[in-house]
Amino acid sequence: MDIIPQIIINSLVAGAIYALISLGFNLIYGATKFFNLAHGIVVVIGGYSILCFVKFLGLNIYLGVVISVIISGILGYCLDRFVYLPLKRKKASNMVLLVASLGIFTALQGIISIIFSSQFQSLSENSEQVVFSFFNGFITETQIIILISLVLIGLGLILLLHKTQFGREVRAINDDEEVAKIIGIHTNKIIGRVFFIGSAIAGYAGILVGYDTGLEPTMGLSLLLKGVIASIIGGVGSIYGGILGAFLLGFVENFGILKISGGWKDAIAFGLLIIFLIFRPRGIINK
Amino acid sequence: MEYLIHLGILFAIYSILGLSLNLVVGFTGLLSISHAAFYGIGAYTTAIILTKTGLGFFTSLILGIIIVLIISFLIGLVLSKFKGDYYALGSIGFNVIVLSVLLNWQDLTAGPLGIAGVSRPEILGIDFSNKFYFLILILIFLLIFYLISLFITKSPFGKILKAIREDDGAIQIFGYNILYFKLVIFIVSAVMAAIAGSFFASFVTFIEPSSFAVSESIFILVVSILGGLASLRGSILGALFLVLLPEILRLIGFPVDIAGQMRQVIYGIILILLMLYRPQGLIGEYKI
Repeated sequence: MDIIPQIIINSLVAGAIYALISLGFNLIYGATKFFNLAHGIVVVIGGYSILCFVKFLGLNIYLGVVISVIISGILGYCLDRFVYLPLKRKKASNMVLLVASLGIFTALQGIISIIFSSQFQSLSENSEQVVFSFFNGFITETQIIILISLVLIGLGLILLLHKTQFGREVRAINDDEEVAKIIGIHTNKIIGRVFFIGSAIAGYAGILVGYDTGLEPTMGLSLLLKGVIASIIGGVGSIYGGILGAFLLGFVENFGILKISGGWKDAIAFGLLIIFLIFRPRGIINK
Repeated sequence: MEYLIHLGILFAIYSILGLSLNLVVGFTGLLSISHAAFYGIGAYTTAIILTKTGLGFFTSLILGIIIVLIISFLIGLVLSKFKGDYYALGSIGFNVIVLSVLLNWQDLTAGPLGIAGVSRPEILGIDFSNKFYFLILILIFLLIFYLISLFITKSPFGKILKAIREDDGAIQIFGYNILYFKLVIFIVSAVMAAIAGSFFASFVTFIEPSSFAVSESIFILVVSILGGLASLRGSILGALFLVLLPEILRLIGFPVDIAGQMRQVIYGIILILLMLYRPQGLIGEYKI
């Protein structure tokens, strides 16, 4: 039972990363109602931007984070502006949007591996990170930052959605885009901004993953799918549901590998998804 | 010449894969991103049987078919309850689970190391390690699958599949059990993929799990969509184009060391452009 505290910490950290990815994913899903699979590659690009700016160009880390987050946001905005919006104007089905986002994912992943090689890259310079100990478990400084980031970003997003004019407009679009348009909301402009915010959060999650475990061009798919699974088991389109789902996923995954090898994590995650899809397809938080 | 035969075999394998996936995606309108899983199970069955037992290629082929029949039945049973993007997501999930099994069931699959030294088939005294004979053999299989697919799509069964694609609610009102139709076509398609996998393993003689990841499923999807959804000839055309593409890239002088990644970039861009300008593919009939 000595390892239980450590597993709880691992579950919380994994859950927080999944939650950050699902926040952006849910925000975008809420406004557009399609599965934006390219969200996963935005995470990767966030991580690689910081690698490029801080490690290769020697920029100050805070400045690097800000630039990387903005790059991720702009990327998300451009994807909407140049791919999804034209598709929407053609009245394309959700499946077409999904396949297009799959194409974006594949193409950008290839480009990243060409530029940065497909090798695993570590972001943290000093291997001896500051480590704190709780009961019998250890948590690194990066992991504490991950947990704090989730709380701050989560609260910020909730405030943004509920206390500002922009938030009200986003929620109106979530309820019904046509009606929102009729009452004079510039839906396409708002959705563009939603893409910017959601993708910026994804990019930030990528930076955290980079400092926590390291970077690989192919890590996007697994992270994306975890974020999507978290969103679905929580209740897709719901910010709170996504966070709940993310932590549930984190705990099930990490406690699931108590007895079997860590390689089965992805299988456990999808097992959980399929159980939910069969028995509770609308997630924990039912609408 | 040797190399042309090599390309020909790859073309035939991907034609079978594209063709069989088209039955599900194009004709029934179910976006399945799990084809590489069944392809992989077929390949691994053949590889394991040929390297660990004294049994021959055709025994392994039949065993692969039986295993995939069972697995695709179970997976299809779950997937058939879904439609649209949830179907796509669920199918990715099953692909990841099958990949995890290939990676982690080390005693059987040797994990990430893969299995080397798979032999080529030998039947009735004909030694198919001769690549030309191998090509003939797999082209015969391609022809058979093409005819089977043609028969399915022209039959009343195929008409119902198309009806499910267009409006699954309406066809249900007529009393058809759409779950059954979705399941049957999924299994048929999976079995064809498994056979392609058996040939692939025996042809390349070395297989590893990464050949059957989600990215491979996406590649097979590109074969189906590029040529044309709900067009059998389209899938053949798509396979031809995508097998030749790396060669074209090499001819115009792309560096070899990034060829793999470059191909990925191009597949991705093809998907985006197709969705933007021609969602039914080159000669397809159906837009997803």
